[in-house]
Amino acid sequence: MISRRDFLRQASIAIAAARALPPLLTWAADNSSVQMPGEEGMIVRSARFFDLETPSEFLTSWITSVPHFFVRNHMHEPSTLDADTWRLTISGEVEKPLTLTLADLARLEKHAVTNTLECAGNGRAFQQPHVPGVQWQKGAVGNARFSGPRLRDLLQRAGVKPTGKQVMFHGLDEVPGKVPPFIRSIPVEKAIDGDTLIATHMNDAPLSKHHGFPARSLVPGWVGAASCKWLSEIKVLDKEFDGNFMKPGYRFPNQPGKPGEPVNPDDMHVITALNVKSVIATPADGSTVKSRSIHLQGVAWAGEADIARVEVSADAGATWKPAQLGREQSRYAWRLWTYAWKAPKAGDYTFMARATDNQGRTQPETAVWNPSGYLYNAIDQVKLHVQA
Amino acid sequence: MFKRKAFNTTRLALTLLCSAPLLWAQSPDLPPGPAQAKVRTACLECHDASIIVQQRLGKPAWTKEVDKMIKWGALVDAADRDSFIDYLSANFPPDKTPAAMPRAGSAKKH
Repeated sequence: MISRRDFLRQASIAIAAARALPPLLTWAADNSSVQMPGEEGMIVRSARFFDLETPSEFLTSWITSVPHFFVRNHMHEPSTLDADTWRLTISGEVEKPLTLTLADLARLEKHAVTNTLECAGNGRAFQQPHVPGVQWQKGAVGNARFSGPRLRDLLQRAGVKPTGKQVMFHGLDEVPGKVPPFIRSIPVEKAIDGDTLIATHMNDAPLSKHHGFPARSLVPGWVGAASCKWLSEIKVLDKEFDGNFMKPGYRFPNQPGKPGEPVNPDDMHVITALNVKSVIATPADGSTVKSRSIHLQGVAWAGEADIARVEVSADAGATWKPAQLGREQSRYAWRLWTYAWKAPKAGDYTFMARATDNQGRTQPETAVWNPSGYLYNAIDQVKLHVQA
Repeated sequence: MFKRKAFNTTRLALTLLCSAPLLWAQSPDLPPGPAQAKVRTACLECHDASIIVQQRLGKPAWTKEVDKMIKWGALVDAADRDSFIDYLSANFPPDKTPAAMPRAGSAKKH
């Protein structure tokens, strides 16, 4: 039995010992890696707050494994999360406010949605002029099977009053300093869609801490910010939630402006559904291919719409040929695609991929610039050197 | 008795090492400069340096960021505000190539 005094003394020795050691367990000497068991290979955009990007070479499977699924946190993750004491409240413009346990959620009918979740800021690093924020490149996106009760079933139990127009989500992430809490709201129409979930599972396992254990909202087809992690409070409001992460945060210009120029938040609207977009997963940009047989792989998604086609250009956009779409498909889920091409000779080639959806939207050559770099969806490209 | 304590201390050290890598991961440090120490104290209280060093912004954008962070609780003396903006603008300007970000979990370079 260790006394409290012994524990504190040993803890201080241990902390001193830990501080004295070279940081072998954290950063490698050349700063190329940081120890994060279970997240091997992920790009560490930030360790505190925790923001991990999926390297493009991992974007080659229809379902993204949880360890390879990007993580976007605005705040500190909750320091304590206890499944037994966790509660979800539903209040506001409802007839009967509710407090639910995890066991209560488990008793409700479960529904599964395979959804491509993409951070609104994915691709921000490619915006010119540069914009502030996590400098995501291609991989703040993943596709997973989320399951849990429908939000609609919870709202029906609480009874939304006619005055209820928006549904607000608030999680347990811990806010540093005077940072506004991460609270957002979605229109009641999307909240009662049969595919909008209070997800408790991801790829058929309970949510991991990084992905919102024990429950998160899952708003399919919409930017990741709509899907609030560590959910603890749902509130039905008579209007859009008025807070930093609704305005000026997560808004997009009504009209494209001049790149680099400030945009008045009143001339912007809240971002909802994702754009049409595709990325080339492999080969990596700048790599050398030792065969003239080139095999491109990638993914394409379109939020609430379906991918109609993906085209690839092997000549920097002069001519386009259709890529082969993968068999696996589900509403809100991305499509895998492949493209095989024989290079006529050794040399340097620029490959481009562009997706078109069933609403007729095609990826643009240049994405609409906006002050936070949201919804970047310009045609992706990789330059390859063919050696053989 | 000593062995037991030594064991417990070792175990505790290992526990801390295993449980606190994220706290440890201070990322690439901030570059030297007149405001380095103060920026480190004020900014790294809440987040690590990597979110700073990956930015490529002009002075007006850095000004906006610094003012936002002060509003959000960063403890910056009014007299130091301009030196923060100068330091960040000088070290992380739009035309500088951003540093490659590290990978998790393996020393292998990708």
